[in-house]
Amino acid sequence: MGRSRPSSADRHATLETDQKARPGGTAKPARGCITRRGALALFALPLAAFMPRAAAAKPLRIVCLDDGLAETLLMLGVTPIAVADHEVWEKWVVEPPLPPEVADVGTILEPNLEFLQQLRPDVILSTPYLDGIKPLLERVAPVTTIGIYTPDGQPYRRAIEATRQLATLVGKESEGGALIAATEACFSDVGQRLGPLSARPIYAVSFLDPRNVRVYGEKSLFQAVFDRIGIRNAWTGETNYWGFATVGIDGLATSSDARLAYLEPLPEGAVGTLTESPVWKAMPFVRNRSIMRLAPTLMFGALPSASRFARLLAAALTAEHAGG
Amino acid sequence: MAEQQAILSGDTSLIPGRGSKARLSDRYPLGAILLCVVLLGVAAAATLSNLVVQLPPALWLDALASPDIDDMRQVLVHYAFLPRLAVSLLCGAALGLAGTVLQQVLRNPLASPETVGVSAGAHLALALATLLAPSLLAYGREWVALAGAFTALAAVFALSWHKGLSPLSVLLAGLVVSLYAGAIGAALVVLRHEWLASLFIWGAGSLGQQDWSTTLWLLPRLGAAALLIGLMVRPLTLLGLDDEGARSLGIPLGAYRFAGLAAAVALIAFVVAAVGVIGFVGLAAATLARIGGARRLGQQLVMAPLIGGALLWAADQGVQIATGPQGDLLPTGAMTALLGAPLLLWLLPRLALGLETPALGSERLPRARRSALVLAVIGGVLLVLLGLALLYAPGPHGWTFASGDQLQPLLSWRLPRVSAALAAGAMLALAGLMMQRLTGNPMASPEVLGISAGAALGMMVALFSLADAGRPTQTAAATIGAFAALLVTLAIGRRAAYAPERLLLAGIALTALFDALILVLTATGDPRAMLLLNWLTGSTYGVDANSALLTSTIAFCLFLAAPLLMRWLDMLPLGSAAVQSLGINLRATRLLVLLMVAALTAASTLVVGPLTFIGLMAPHLARRLGLSRALPQAVGAVLAGALIMVCADWVGRTAIFPRQIPAGLVATLIGGPVLMWLLRRR
Repeated sequence: MGRSRPSSADRHATLETDQKARPGGTAKPARGCITRRGALALFALPLAAFMPRAAAAKPLRIVCLDDGLAETLLMLGVTPIAVADHEVWEKWVVEPPLPPEVADVGTILEPNLEFLQQLRPDVILSTPYLDGIKPLLERVAPVTTIGIYTPDGQPYRRAIEATRQLATLVGKESEGGALIAATEACFSDVGQRLGPLSARPIYAVSFLDPRNVRVYGEKSLFQAVFDRIGIRNAWTGETNYWGFATVGIDGLATSSDARLAYLEPLPEGAVGTLTESPVWKAMPFVRNRSIMRLAPTLMFGALPSASRFARLLAAALTAEHAGG
Repeated sequence: MAEQQAILSGDTSLIPGRGSKARLSDRYPLGAILLCVVLLGVAAAATLSNLVVQLPPALWLDALASPDIDDMRQVLVHYAFLPRLAVSLLCGAALGLAGTVLQQVLRNPLASPETVGVSAGAHLALALATLLAPSLLAYGREWVALAGAFTALAAVFALSWHKGLSPLSVLLAGLVVSLYAGAIGAALVVLRHEWLASLFIWGAGSLGQQDWSTTLWLLPRLGAAALLIGLMVRPLTLLGLDDEGARSLGIPLGAYRFAGLAAAVALIAFVVAAVGVIGFVGLAAATLARIGGARRLGQQLVMAPLIGGALLWAADQGVQIATGPQGDLLPTGAMTALLGAPLLLWLLPRLALGLETPALGSERLPRARRSALVLAVIGGVLLVLLGLALLYAPGPHGWTFASGDQLQPLLSWRLPRVSAALAAGAMLALAGLMMQRLTGNPMASPEVLGISAGAALGMMVALFSLADAGRPTQTAAATIGAFAALLVTLAIGRRAAYAPERLLLAGIALTALFDALILVLTATGDPRAMLLLNWLTGSTYGVDANSALLTSTIAFCLFLAAPLLMRWLDMLPLGSAAVQSLGINLRATRLLVLLMVAALTAASTLVVGPLTFIGLMAPHLARRLGLSRALPQAVGAVLAGALIMVCADWVGRTAIFPRQIPAGLVATLIGGPVLMWLLRRR
C-alpha cells in the first residue's frame, strides 16, 4: 500500500492480443466465482465480489501456460479452459484449487499443439520463458506474453501489472483492482499482526537434497513479501534471474539470530538424513528451534502466491510464538 | 618380465629414458612420485588458503580435535570441510586403484570406471531406485550401485566378447552402455517433468559432506576391496601376459580375472554410491602412474591411488576456491571430467592400442540375391508408417484417423515433424554407414565421432550466453558447434592420418567433455537447463514448416552427392594397403567422407538431438537384411533410419498423450537394445 508505481505501468498494460479476441458488450456475470469470493473475503473486501461489471457474453476461452498467471485468473473468477502440467499445480501451487474441468495440455515446455488447436482457444497466455515456441502457439490462437520474472528483477511490480493486464483482457478491471488492493491489504494486515514477531530475520528456502537449498532473496517474489510485511530477509547474497541462490545449508549460518522457513514439497528423504547431521544440529536456527515448515507456495507465482506466502508465514510465526 | 608386461600392455611409447643410463628411474617411478609430490603440494596450499578463509589459524587445532559447538566456523571445519577432504582422498585413491586394476585385467590402457560404463551403470541404478523404488535404498545404497555396475559391465562384456574383449571393442561397448544409461536417465527427468524441482539427480558428483558418516561408510568397504587387490598382486601381474603364457604357468586365469574385476567394480560402485560419478580420475591416475614410470604392477598399484587421491584432493580444493568453501554449485565430479576429457584427447596419439582388423566381415552374413526386393519391402513399410504417423493419433476423444475439416490443421502440425524426423533419421543413417565403412568398425557412428556433441555444445553456449536466443540463433550456434567439433576431431585425426581408432576415441573424449558441461550447467539448477535437456533428448516439437523444409532440402542435396562416394566406400573396408594399391589418395578420400559425415550429422542433430543410435543401428539393420554392397546398403540404411525415426516420433507423440516423449529419446530407448542384440549376434 502506498508504494508509488510508475504511472507508465498502467499504460504498459496494453494488450498484445488481437483485439478481435476480446469479447464486447455487457451481460450477466459469469458464475463460478467461489474461489475468488472465498479468497477475497479473507481480506475483508467482500463487497468487491458483489460488484461484477462487464463480463463476457460468451466467456473467453483461455489457455494459460503459466501457473502464476493461471492462479491470478482463478482469483479474478475466470477459469482457463486448459493449463499445463496438472501435477505441478497439485504439488507446488495448491491454492487456489484447480477446477477439475480444466484440461491438461501437457508439459509447460511442450504443450501439445494438436490438442491445443482442438480446444479452440481465443487466447493463449504465455511468458517470455516460452518465447521459443511462441511462433508455434501463434498458429493456434493469439498469444499474450506476460513476463513476471524478467531481468529487471521486480516480480511483485510485474505481478501487479500482470493482474491489471489480465483483468482488462477478461473484462474484470474492478476485480483486478480488488485483487491488488486485497493483496496489499493482506500484507499490511499481516505486518500489523506480526508486530514484534517480525524482529528476527528469516531465511526462506526450498530443500534440493539434505545438503543443499534454494534460498530466496533479491529479485524473488518472497523478497517483495518480506519487504511489505516488515520482515528482514536473512539472505542478502546474490540471487539469479529467478530470485534464488543454490547454497549448502551451512551457507545459512551467516546470521546468528535468523529463523528458517522451508517450503514443501520436500525431496525424498531430505528431512530424515538432515536431522542426524551435526552441521544441521549446530545451525543457529536449529539450536534456537526457530524452524517453520510451510505448505507449498509457488515460488515463481504472482499475487495469489505472494499473499498465500504472507499468510502461511504469519500463521507459522504466530504458532511458533504461541508454542513457546 | 616387467619389460615384457609393459610391452604387452602396449605402453612402450610411454616409458621414459628407456635403455640407457637412467638406472634409478628403472627401479623407482620417479616421474610419478614427482607428480604426486607436486599435486600434493598444490592441494595442500589450496587447502590452507581455503581453511584460512573459514577459520583463524589459532583455532585450527581446536576445530580438529574438539570443535566448539557454539562456534559455527569450527563446526563447519570439523564436520564439513575435513570430512570432505577425507572423502576426496578416499574416492580419488579408490578410483585410481580401480582404474589400474581394470587396465591390467582387461589389458587395455584406456580402461577406466567411465570408459567401460561401470560408473554410468551404478549411477543409473541409484537414480532409478531413488525415483521408482526408494525402499530399495534402505537395504543399502552400495547394493543398488553394485547391481547397476555389474549389469553395465556384463553388458559391455556381452557386447565385446566375440572380439575377445579387445581394447577398442570394450571401449566402444562401454560408450554405448554409458550413452544408453544416460538416455534412460534423461527419460526419467523428462517424464517426471518436475521443472521446478532440482535437477540434482543429474548433478551428482558433489563431494560436499555434513558429517563423518560417509567417510566411515567408505573406509571399511574400500579397505576390504583394496586388501583383496593387495592379496592378488602376483596373479594380477601374470594376467598382463597373454592367455597362453599365463596358463602355461598353471594359473586359474578365469578366477583371478573375475576376482580382480569384482574388486575394481566394487570400488567404483562404493564411490558412486557415496558421492556420485567422479569423471576421469580413475583413467587419469592410472595412466599418469604409468607415464610416470611405474612399470611393475606393484608400483602402479601404489602410485595410481596416491596420484588419484592427490588429484581429486587438488581438484576439489580448487573447486572450493572457485565457489567458496563447501560450495556445491560446481560438482567436483563434473569438473574433473571437464579436465579429464582434454587429458584423454592428449593421450590418444601417444598410446598404442593395437590395430583393429576390419570388422565388417561378410562371410557369415546373409547376402540377398535381389537387393531391390529387400529395398522395396523396407520402402513399403516406411510408406505405411508414414500414413499412420500423419493420420492416426489420439485427440481429446481418443484415437482417431484425421479426416475432413480436421485433416488440414492436424497435418499442418504433423507434416513438419514427420518430415523432419524422416530426413534426420535418413541423414544419420547415411552418416553412420559412411563412418562404419570408413573405419571398418561396426561401432562407429556420428554419435561416437563427437560431432553431435559439438552441435549440442554450440546450442548450449547460445542458450546460456545470450539473453533470448530464438530458434534461428540456436540453429546457427549448433551448426558452428558441429563444425568446430569436426575441426577438433580432424586436427587430432590428422596426426594419425585419419586412422579410424584415433578418430573414434577422440569422439568419445569430446562426448565426455560435453556430458561434463551438461552436468555442470544442470547442477546450477537454472531453469534454462530444462530447455536444453528437452532439446538434447531429441524433441521434434519445435520443428515448423520452415525448419522442416530446410532439413529436408539439406538432406536431399547431400543424398544427391552421396553416390559419388559409394565406390570408395566399397573399397575402404578392404584396408588401407589394398586401397592405396588401387591408386586412391587415401587422405583425400577420408577427408571428403568425413566432411560429408559432419554435414549430415550437423543437419540431423539440430532436429533429433545428439543422443540417438540411428547412425549406429540403421547400417546394421541393412547389413542384416543382406544388403552388402555400399550402394544398396546405403539405400537400405537410409530407408531404415527414416523408418525408425518416423516411428519414434509417432510413438513419442502418442504414447502418453497429451504429453510427449522426445523422438530422439524414443529412438534411443528402442534402438539401444536392438543395437546391442545385433552386435551380440555375430
